[in-house]
Amino acid sequence: MIQKKICMLGATGVGKTSLVSRFVLSMFSDTYLTTIGVKVDKKTLSVDGADITLMLWDIYGEDEFQTVRTSYLRGAAGYILVADGTRQRTLDTARELQSKAMAVVGNVPFVLVLNKADLAGEWRVDDRALWKMAEDGWTLVKTSAKTGAGVEEAFLKLTTKVAAS
Amino acid sequence: MANIAAARQGDRHPAADAAHAADFAELRSLIVGPEQRHLRTIQARLDDPATQARDVSRVLPVAMLLRKDDPQMTRALAPTVEEALTASVRRNPRPLADALFPIFGPAIRKAIAASLSSMLESLNQTIEHSVSWRALQWRLIALRTGRPFAEIVLLNTLVYRVEQVFLIERDSGLLLQHVKSAAVSARDADMVSGMLTAIRDFARDSFRVSEDEGLDNFHIGDLSVFVEQGPHAILAAVVRGTPPAELRQALQEAIEHVHARTGEALVSFTGDSEPFEAVRPTLEGLLEAKYRPRRRGVSPALWVTATIVVLAIGTWVFLAWSSQSKWNAYLDALRAEPGIVVVGAERSGGSFTVRGLRDPLAKDPRSFVAASGLTADAVSGSWQLFQALDPSIVQARARQLLHAPDTVRLSFDGSVLRASGSASADWIRESARLAPLIAGVSSYDARPLVEQRLRELSAELSKALPMFARGSTAFESGGESVLSSQLERLRELDGLAQVVGQRYAIEVVGHADSDGTPEQNESLSVSRANVVRSAIERLSLSHLDVSARGAGSREPLTRDTSEADKRTNRRVMIRIAGTK
Repeated sequence: MIQKKICMLGATGVGKTSLVSRFVLSMFSDTYLTTIGVKVDKKTLSVDGADITLMLWDIYGEDEFQTVRTSYLRGAAGYILVADGTRQRTLDTARELQSKAMAVVGNVPFVLVLNKADLAGEWRVDDRALWKMAEDGWTLVKTSAKTGAGVEEAFLKLTTKVAAS
Repeated sequence: MANIAAARQGDRHPAADAAHAADFAELRSLIVGPEQRHLRTIQARLDDPATQARDVSRVLPVAMLLRKDDPQMTRALAPTVEEALTASVRRNPRPLADALFPIFGPAIRKAIAASLSSMLESLNQTIEHSVSWRALQWRLIALRTGRPFAEIVLLNTLVYRVEQVFLIERDSGLLLQHVKSAAVSARDADMVSGMLTAIRDFARDSFRVSEDEGLDNFHIGDLSVFVEQGPHAILAAVVRGTPPAELRQALQEAIEHVHARTGEALVSFTGDSEPFEAVRPTLEGLLEAKYRPRRRGVSPALWVTATIVVLAIGTWVFLAWSSQSKWNAYLDALRAEPGIVVVGAERSGGSFTVRGLRDPLAKDPRSFVAASGLTADAVSGSWQLFQALDPSIVQARARQLLHAPDTVRLSFDGSVLRASGSASADWIRESARLAPLIAGVSSYDARPLVEQRLRELSAELSKALPMFARGSTAFESGGESVLSSQLERLRELDGLAQVVGQRYAIEVVGHADSDGTPEQNESLSVSRANVVRSAIERLSLSHLDVSARGAGSREPLTRDTSEADKRTNRRVMIRIAGTK
């Protein structure tokens, strides 16, 4: 069995935990997020006929009061950057977190998830910025933790990239 | 070649063209002929699947060996191998089962043995502590807290137990290996491994320690987690209780062994934990437990209980022994008693039953109960009457049946009943008739009694003297009465003679006083003797031979000087002269 450590990164309130909750069955309480700043969950996916177990480290969101503990990123095979499509600032935070992550784990696969796709009317992120990021090689996936749209796809895309790396 | 040169110069002719073609063909054949043939051979091999298969089969094993460490190779082969195995099992599971049997057998046995060992150890602990004062306390605690009794026992007897060991990749926190005690139910080890790493990172970040430092151990309730760090992996042991210092040393040695054995796999780790199966036995070796030895000292309560039990048993044994002794004494007394024969004795609980034969003249068996110490209520008897032949009983029976007077003493030696003392001749005669009829008496010996009576009769005969009137053969007043008494004594004597089967000689001697002449006195004394003799003979006593003679005045009883003396000398004496 192949295992991979995947980290969930993003600003506070972008819906990381909700995404994970839709994706896995947790064993630990969410209170760990607010105490030690991380919660580990598990999900097994099949990519090209091979089972891969993802150990998902849901890392507490970064905001003006605290920063992400980068030590939690060590050994990650990939990560998911989560931004809130209704808040442009969260996209900037995602970009900053990507830089931090790269400094710790190097050039490992990652996926940018634009969450809250169900709130299309309130969408605030700059599409040109998104195009630019896509041109830079970023993989972007729109998701809705509320409806579940795109969630499986986002994890599958990252897993495929991780498996191929 | 000249044709070729001409052709090049444009000097063309049909015949020349044909010649040129042939020349070209020949030239080609000369220059590239071998290559063309080789190409055709290659083409033929490529077009022939059988040949291709043979070619591939030659290089396939080498190629697979070269790529054995390539995960892509594994992934590529996995579906085919899985489908092949599935198809094989579906078609005929026997070959695969036979192939796996040598592996599964030992593995299953090992797993079962490990589980049984663990279960037996736990069971042993539980059983050892099931019947003690402490166990009772623990049962109360289990009832109060709602926790299983076995768990309470474990908590109170366990020194320590290494319940789980995690081998974790140091950076990612991914689980490389996990082993646990059979008695422990563990949660998802992968997630626990991740959270352990997160906690470890959190602690290190919080206190800003170096990379080589970190959380060595932490405690949660009854559990402790000991962390041993290596260059690429960490070992986390979950321990219940207080382990010895040696455990830390064992963890260090284990992590060193892991690095020595799987160093390359750790360095190149990309998420595949398969290579770390090799160190699983090392980790399993860390799963040890130690229990407190059960105290061998005996508790006071147990002493008291044991003393009570011993006293109870001792009392019971003593009472049983005492009761049995009394019972035996009672039976011995019965068996020793003449006229009683014990034929059966039974004991049931506290009651006793005796069966046997009893002579009516024997003592009442109930009279022995009190003397033996038993209570009358405890003993019941069933007795059949019989006539015993014990000498004392025969003797008593004889005394009873013969109505023996107190002056008679009876003795019995087993066959002969002997009578002594004094008794009337009638009784002696009657006893001689009845004694042989008494059970147990084969003969009756009354001679002592007879002899005694003879002596008495002899004395009585010699004392009582019938007196005669002076010069006459007539009795003086009262003389007849005296004679009558003497006759009665003789009758009695005759009876005794019949009893002993002898004949007695009776001598009658007449006497006279000195008043007459000697001749007169001689004659008178003879007459007087004959008078008495006649009276005796009239009795027809069959066993007495009577003789009479006169003694005249030659044998006076007194000096014969006074009238009183003379009266005494006018007598007839009757005496027993002997036997015949």
